[in-house]
Amino acid sequence: MLMPRKPPNGFRKPHHPDRSGRSKGGNRVVFGEFGIQALEPAYVTNRQIESARIAMTRHIKRGGKVWITVFPDQALTKKPAETRMGSGKGSPEWWVANVKPGRILFEMAFPNEETAREAMRRAIHKLPMKCRIVKREVGES
Amino acid sequence: MSEVKISAEPRTVFGKGGARRTRRAGLVPAVVYGHGEAPRHIAVPAREFAAAIRHGGINTVFELVSPDGTKTLALPKAIQRDPLKDTFEHIDLVIVKRGEQVTVEVPVHLVGEAAKGTLVMTEHDKIAIAAEALHLPEFLEVSIEGLEAGSHVTAGDVKLPRGASLVADAETIVAVVSLAPTAEQLEGETAEAAEEAEEAAAEEPVAVEA
Repeated sequence: MLMPRKPPNGFRKPHHPDRSGRSKGGNRVVFGEFGIQALEPAYVTNRQIESARIAMTRHIKRGGKVWITVFPDQALTKKPAETRMGSGKGSPEWWVANVKPGRILFEMAFPNEETAREAMRRAIHKLPMKCRIVKREVGES
Repeated sequence: MSEVKISAEPRTVFGKGGARRTRRAGLVPAVVYGHGEAPRHIAVPAREFAAAIRHGGINTVFELVSPDGTKTLALPKAIQRDPLKDTFEHIDLVIVKRGEQVTVEVPVHLVGEAAKGTLVMTEHDKIAIAAEALHLPEFLEVSIEGLEAGSHVTAGDVKLPRGASLVADAETIVAVVSLAPTAEQLEGETAEAAEEAEEAAAEEPVAVEA
């Protein structure tokens, strides 16, 4: 599963990432022909990303290419069950990508649009927020 | 392609508040400049502008009609869009004259189907050409019919309309035809990267909690 080689900025237990606002960049399809665009903010875990990727690649079988355009580089912590409050921050539990509305999470190049859309629909079911399928607009400025 | 007439109201309110009020009124904030003239801040009707771009492409020439009746020919230079709502946020229009040669980026459409078992990937979906301002093509076409894996299409292969010349490097790659990845390759792509990351994470010393 995707995760950073070492904690970003050297900190293992950062504060929760900011979920406000919209995605400033990465909101256009640039590599493939189709993309999955987030419509809500969410923390997407590396397991969810991997699950969505598998759902997509298993459906298209062969003859296409998939790009993952988000990376789970934020650590979220959790305190163990039945533990009293205090005694410091919990240990890192998840690696997540901080996704904001408008962000493209996956891109795909595949000759058949119908199959590509079905593969992406299946992938969206694995993600924790509302998403939509977008098509690359040729020559968009 | 002939020019599209559109009304251009002068804009008196600026900043994000003013721009938002303009958008709420069904207009798009825009700026017109070029040919040594001072920039003019205007607002154009959003629906009409969107319809013109949808039917005529991004290189549609507009005839801006001011309330005092003056007409200006202008070409969109930069269009800012809302990625979620797909509405227009702001437009930069550059003044053009009849018969003037302008350099614009024109979308390239791939026509036909490459050989079986290949995957076509677009590298550049626009190429820069020079053409007369009122005769700009909406898009250019290039055939990929029957191309085998390993071949590519360059800007030099694109057929240009009469009177247009290529400005972009003729060697600019427009599309690459490669062998379509197999199911195993698709599965393995991120698995390899993930394994590497996991190994690196395992090597990382874990700090001891105080």
